[in-house]
Amino acid sequence: MENQPKNHISRKGLTVWRLYGVIQTAVLTLLAAGGGTAVFFLDGPSWLYAVLAAVPLLYGFFAIYLFPKIRWERWRYEVREQEIELQHGLFIVKRTLVPMVRVQHVDTQQGPILRKYGLAAISISTAATVHTVPALVNGEADELRQRISVLARVAEDDV
Amino acid sequence: MSDTRYRLHPISALLNFLKGLKELVLPFLILFGANLLQGEGLPGRDLESLITYGAGAAVLLFLLAAGIIKWRRFVYWFEEGELRIEYGLFVKKKRYIPFERIQSLDYTEGIFHRPLGLVRVKVETAGGQGEGAEAELTAVPRADAARIEEVIEHAKNRVLGNGVSKETAGETAVAEENRREAAREIYRISSKELLILAATSGGIGVVLSGLAVFLTQFSEVIPYEMIYSEVMVFLRFGALIVALTVFISLLIIWLVSLALTIFSNYRFTILANDENIIITRGLLEKKRITLPFKRIQAIRVTENPLRELFGYAAVTVESAGGSAAEMGGEKIRLLPLVKRRDMLPVLERLFPETDWSPEFFKAPPRSVRFYYRVDFLWILPGAAALSYFFFPYGLLAFLAVPLSVALGIWQHRTAGWSAGRRQLTLRTRAISKQTMYVMRKRIQSAEVRQSWFQSRKKVATIQVTVKSGILGAAVRVEHLEKQDTERIMQWFRPQPDKEQEESPIQK
Repeated sequence: MENQPKNHISRKGLTVWRLYGVIQTAVLTLLAAGGGTAVFFLDGPSWLYAVLAAVPLLYGFFAIYLFPKIRWERWRYEVREQEIELQHGLFIVKRTLVPMVRVQHVDTQQGPILRKYGLAAISISTAATVHTVPALVNGEADELRQRISVLARVAEDDV
Repeated sequence: MSDTRYRLHPISALLNFLKGLKELVLPFLILFGANLLQGEGLPGRDLESLITYGAGAAVLLFLLAAGIIKWRRFVYWFEEGELRIEYGLFVKKKRYIPFERIQSLDYTEGIFHRPLGLVRVKVETAGGQGEGAEAELTAVPRADAARIEEVIEHAKNRVLGNGVSKETAGETAVAEENRREAAREIYRISSKELLILAATSGGIGVVLSGLAVFLTQFSEVIPYEMIYSEVMVFLRFGALIVALTVFISLLIIWLVSLALTIFSNYRFTILANDENIIITRGLLEKKRITLPFKRIQAIRVTENPLRELFGYAAVTVESAGGSAAEMGGEKIRLLPLVKRRDMLPVLERLFPETDWSPEFFKAPPRSVRFYYRVDFLWILPGAAALSYFFFPYGLLAFLAVPLSVALGIWQHRTAGWSAGRRQLTLRTRAISKQTMYVMRKRIQSAEVRQSWFQSRKKVATIQVTVKSGILGAAVRVEHLEKQDTERIMQWFRPQPDKEQEESPIQK
């Protein structure tokens, strides 16, 4: 795509997504282990073991390695004077344009995991939509929030 | 006048009661119905049925008392430029609404209101919490409603033109009167349109599904075994009678929905002045809603295939804020059904800034496959499964393939866009053809979406979101030329000196 938005989200965001992937995979592995035990005691067919082993492995590959990598590579944002442009999406690449005049308010949020990595998510709300940039370094997020709210106040309505 | 406290008309106690009753009707029916069906005929004089009756009576009494108390406690008055309301059954609530925040007053006259010359007034503000109107006066005399409107208009003017002496106040009132008089009639539904609307409306589906819901609600109560044996007897009369019964009941359902549509859209009239569109409609229950122009976000023209064939269309508007949700979604019907060529003059008069017949750019020929290819994902396995389990008739399921291809081609042909100086027009089809006209300043955000498959063929999907009610409504045109979606984005992009740059995209 020509002239993509230029800023990546924080590299640590990738780590956080991988961590989410690890957690999900761990839960899935536990379930699979439970299933394996059941197969053992109920004398199920042996190919079920193969399936039960393959599912967490595949899931792990996608959720820990591939998907976070693609998502992170894809995630771009840029805040210009009159507009905010975002690009994201795993299977479908979405490029969103939000004019500064439409911005109503900006929030930052931080869950426990994000906080541990010193990250914050920033949500930009218009009257009808909410757009979230998922992982920015704390200071950067605050600075961006400030900047957007100043720019949004300055921007004039092009009625 | 500032300190007079007004009460609603006593009939509102009855209306409260009926409203409470309506909410209880289903549980009630189940309670009594179950009793009726389990026992032999009507409940006897045993203790159990007495308790049921007693409980029923207690609930009725409670509802009646609640209705009366609600009416007694509801007062409204005007003070310090605010409409103030105090109400509440157990918890006393006060609500103060500044006049200048009031966007419009909507009137409804139900069958109980009309003989007494009353109206129900809904006060709409821009905020709108989504859960009904900001304030609702269940029943006030029409004269009082007019007075409320006057007070509010008055106050608004005072805010605009500050410092008012007696005379100027009188003058503004007169000017006000003139302006309200100036609301011109723009459109009135003709009886032919009304009939066609009723005959082709989706109301049939609503009634049918309502019936289905009703039946499922009762499935536990209905003694199926009894019915079943009767049905067996019935079946001996032959399939013809069964078919006839089905047909007749469908016909009755259709007639009911026809009547309902006619009642609710009877004398559908649009009036307009400089600020507002005023829509009045209804036979038994008269409604009057006021729709400020500045709240209108986008206009949609919908043509379902049947109506499209005969050149008819329906027009809805997306309106911001307010509790329009009660009017059947945040979409407000502006023209329930109108011949296309009659529609244009009406819309042109209401929205002179909008270009109603722009030239559309189409989706490129190569994108047509995207419109039906995804459907194969579920049609093919589904049809295969049906053929396997219900051989040979299941094979008929493969007919869905050419049908979905045909629909896809049709959707592809309909899809189009146009970007004028200030206006974006998007046309899509699911089954009905929809054209949305929206001004650039009303678009909240725009998005280009592209999947990997789309990027190989250099096509992309455009989606814009406008405010509708308290949420957003997104419109998508799929599988357009990638270059075109970029152009739309460029068109939407704010530019430092827009006035010079502002230019339509032309062929």
